[in-house]
Amino acid sequence: MSAVLFSIAIAAQAQNKIEFEQYKLKNGLNVILHEDHSTPIVAVTVLYHVGSKNEDPNRTGFAHFFEHLLFEGSENIKRGEYMKIVQSNGGILNANTSFDRTFYFEILPSNQAELGLWLESERMLHAIIDETGVETQREVVKEEYRQRFDNQPYGTFLPKLCERAFQDHPYRWITIGSLEHLNQAKIEEFREFYKTYYVPNNATLSIAGDINKPQVKKWIEKYFSDIPVGTKPMNRPTVKEPIKYKEVRDTVYDNIQLPAVMMGYHTPAQNTPDAYAVSMLAQLLSQGKSSRMQKSIVDQQQKAIFVGAFPFPTEDPGLAIMFGVTNMGVSVIDLEKSINEEIEKVQKELISEEEFQKLKNQIESEMITGNAKVEGIAESLANYFVYFGDANLVNTEIERYMKVTREDIKRVANEYFRKDNRVVLHYLPKPQPTN
Amino acid sequence: MKNILSIAIASLIIGGAAQAQKSTKLDRSIRPKATAAPVINLGTPQTFTLDNGLQVFVVENHKLPQVSFSLSFDNDPVLEEEMKGYVDITGELMRTGTKNRTKDQLNEQIDFIGASFHTGSSGIYASSLKKHQEKILEIMSDVLMNPNFKQEELDKIKKQTISGIQTSKDSPDAIAGNVISSLLYGKKHPYGEISTEKSVESITLEKCNLYFNTYMKPNIAYLAVVGDITLAEAKPLVEKYLASWQKAEVPIHKYKAPLAPEKTQVAFVHKDGSTQSLINISYPLNLKNNNPDLIKAKVLSSILGGGSTSRLFLNIREKHGYTYGAYSSITPDELIGSFNASAKVRNEVTDSAVIQFMYELRRLLTEKVTETELQDIKNYMTGTFAYSLQDPQTIANFAINIAKYRLPSDYYSTYLKKISEVTVDDIKAVAEKYIKPENAYIVVVGDKSVSEKLLPFDADNKVNFYDNFGNDYVEALKPAPDGITYKTILENAIKAKYGMPSGKALTKKLSKIKDITTKMNASIQGQTIGVTKYQKAPNKFSMVMSMGSMVIQKQTFDGTVGKVSGMQGNKTMEGKELDEMKLNAVMFADLEYDKSGYKYTVLGVEPLDGKEAYKIEKISASGDKVFDWYDVATGFQVKTVSTETNEEMGGDFTVTGIFSDYKDVNGIKLPYKIIQIFGPQSLDMEVTSIEMNTKLGDDIFK
Repeated sequence: MSAVLFSIAIAAQAQNKIEFEQYKLKNGLNVILHEDHSTPIVAVTVLYHVGSKNEDPNRTGFAHFFEHLLFEGSENIKRGEYMKIVQSNGGILNANTSFDRTFYFEILPSNQAELGLWLESERMLHAIIDETGVETQREVVKEEYRQRFDNQPYGTFLPKLCERAFQDHPYRWITIGSLEHLNQAKIEEFREFYKTYYVPNNATLSIAGDINKPQVKKWIEKYFSDIPVGTKPMNRPTVKEPIKYKEVRDTVYDNIQLPAVMMGYHTPAQNTPDAYAVSMLAQLLSQGKSSRMQKSIVDQQQKAIFVGAFPFPTEDPGLAIMFGVTNMGVSVIDLEKSINEEIEKVQKELISEEEFQKLKNQIESEMITGNAKVEGIAESLANYFVYFGDANLVNTEIERYMKVTREDIKRVANEYFRKDNRVVLHYLPKPQPTN
Repeated sequence: MKNILSIAIASLIIGGAAQAQKSTKLDRSIRPKATAAPVINLGTPQTFTLDNGLQVFVVENHKLPQVSFSLSFDNDPVLEEEMKGYVDITGELMRTGTKNRTKDQLNEQIDFIGASFHTGSSGIYASSLKKHQEKILEIMSDVLMNPNFKQEELDKIKKQTISGIQTSKDSPDAIAGNVISSLLYGKKHPYGEISTEKSVESITLEKCNLYFNTYMKPNIAYLAVVGDITLAEAKPLVEKYLASWQKAEVPIHKYKAPLAPEKTQVAFVHKDGSTQSLINISYPLNLKNNNPDLIKAKVLSSILGGGSTSRLFLNIREKHGYTYGAYSSITPDELIGSFNASAKVRNEVTDSAVIQFMYELRRLLTEKVTETELQDIKNYMTGTFAYSLQDPQTIANFAINIAKYRLPSDYYSTYLKKISEVTVDDIKAVAEKYIKPENAYIVVVGDKSVSEKLLPFDADNKVNFYDNFGNDYVEALKPAPDGITYKTILENAIKAKYGMPSGKALTKKLSKIKDITTKMNASIQGQTIGVTKYQKAPNKFSMVMSMGSMVIQKQTFDGTVGKVSGMQGNKTMEGKELDEMKLNAVMFADLEYDKSGYKYTVLGVEPLDGKEAYKIEKISASGDKVFDWYDVATGFQVKTVSTETNEEMGGDFTVTGIFSDYKDVNGIKLPYKIIQIFGPQSLDMEVTSIEMNTKLGDDIFK
């Protein structure tokens, strides 16, 4: 990186369509490549199609634990070196885990693309999984748990919502899982999990940025083609959570000052037409200051300091979440009532053409700005391919939204946003312990 | 696809090929080398200045059909004093309507085009698709030139802000932020001021208007226009909408730079229920953005705590597993900069983690960093610099920084060169200048049980306690005067309540009372509940809570067996719950304070609702603690606090009873107003009638 040249103004072609190339290695590894030379960087990403829903109910938290463990090193990368190699070569790295997948990435200066591929291939072929690494990362994950859940106001709401919303489906536990399970797990179990899921036939290598495609393809062949195909059976849950006809309601006491309400409504899987209507409904309720809940509940009624509706897209049917924190002196019952009223309004009245047009305009804007960064493009391509079977949705998903009608929004409001199809949690301040 | 398939088949058929491949097997231990360094295109923005002084920078980037306008004000921070919070609120008010648009119209129009529009005291950020660029700029100019702040909107924002302050009382980060601000900068410095419920409450519309009209002027502002737009397009647009914005003289403010503490101090904030301690080591630094040391100092702080290969991260997270992340930073600033190192660690290792922090700070002063470490960090900083360029806003920020901080015009174009020239001796030199382990504040937010272990880190071997807002935590309790013992207090209470001291006469008086029926109305979350309490000598007790004709809960105790029944079902009391009932069911239990098995200690005199009260701690035989307060002037018991255990409510918590409005009933003074605080529920009870000797039957207590 010593030779640095400066030129005036960035010349780039107006490029709205994301071009990409896709193929499969014979060991089953999916490869997606997107070339973009506007900044001399490259995002090297691997999506493993394993998330918390693939876990054994008695060993929850494994997929997330691997998000940590797989930075420990490999046969050719000593403990603690992984991060160091990336950073000392000018890169940044991270990983994240969801119900459905684990995603690892490095963003490197573009002359280090080969290094990124070597690193990811080492991780896929022969990561070190030993007692020392497991022990260290257990402690780190425990601290992560305390920081994100225990010590965070309302931090426990997602696990509490999920465990009440799902009885049969593995979405009943969240990605961080159970610390107890991690403590109980033996080293062999971790190794088994690794050999089962972290294999080329369960992975998508998605690369975006300043790359030379023929060269990158050669490197991919060099580092990934000899990784053996995985042969162990993968747990792909087929269990369907029964349709709900009874509201679940509970109170949680937490270290908070302002009471809050969270509601989870059972909604369809992301790759269904109704998921798009649900997403637009959530947008109608809470995206932007003119959205219905912002305008009515936060501004006019002043019942909340924060209220939001979030579609929570998942591979299997999941939840759409409403989250409201009360304004001073407002009871949580009162806030819940206002949220219910907004939902009822959508259930009864068709939204206006103008409001509908606003939703479409917002989606158009979001779809375009979502492709601003190479790492975002790499992730989107991999996601669309793995969950929807079509990476080109990066360009065409907007059409799916545009198929949604005003009637669809009203219909999904009635079909899924039923009171008897939801979990309601009230968060109330925990009394202060005695001095 | 077809080709790959045929290759796969071919390799299956030609069995011998596998053998041949083995000999050329990839040596995976060889790490790939970088190819030729890429060219970094650091675009230079085009710039022009309007007659009103607004400096405009245009950065073209045609990758996406999107344009953003970001306006930033460059004025000296002001002291907000008793109305702290009004500057931020002024920024929020800007979004609440103009002379031409109501707030709803403003919001509708912004959302309709799918645009982003944020206002704040330091500027406005607006972005939209290219096709809406003119509309969004027109909205921005309307907001800037035609403000129309309204009292009603101010009131709403104040209420929201105060609610926000309340939630932040539970955030360790917010608490630490408050304490650090007040310790590092002091309350006389704009960075040391902290918004409180009171300061926000007192903000006036006039103050906000004055601030807007004084400081939000084009001649101290920069506008960055970034995205799918050319200079030729941008210039007439900006002129059309912002040329008529009037300039004015903006006041200048100077402040005395705060100094680092003379010696290291430990500051502690107790937060109930903490499972982690937040540790933050910090001190003010005199380091401006145009200081030539800055780049070296940035390299130094990256080595120490700049990411997941920094010393702090490797030591505290990777080696010891104390934390999820440990970081440090050096922040330059035109008034006063700061050093900061922080981590959240589990309670038990708080002191161990502080030891490692201090070890890493001191090590920078005694040892040079290694050449490899330095080179690695240089590579990292070079890489992240390239990465930051992906966002065209970065280029605009570079140009604005050059203007704002009076940096050399080649500051960013030579940035990587300057990084590459930093030596290990430079790092040692800047460490000596900017790393001050012996002049730091060690701020810890956590459970006070860990505070004692922090004594050794304080130069004076003491820990100072602070409240959530960074004020000294004052223990309100004063020692009780000589001669005051628990006996004198409790006897005094008896005299006040029963009209005579304990003794035979009182026993005789009370022996005539066989039963008491107390009826109360209670309100809980707006609902009215009827509560009836039955007591029968010597120790039968029953309490029935009902709403209308429906019984919500009933507690009974017949002298031996206690039961609770209600909507959640029935249960028989046992263990601690039963023991407590036994003690409390005694009709005049306060007379038998010495037989109850409690151990009493007078803690002192505490202010309570404008009066003074004695605070007594009593500990039961099983070790449970109860606190009681007795009014110094009247002698009556006014408050009690005990601890209950309830797993559903997350373990231990407190139950508070507040007694007032004592009235005479057959020669005994009883409280007619009782507030019971049980968790988030506050039960306000008003006594409607007290009757004695109505010949209550025993079946009421079963």
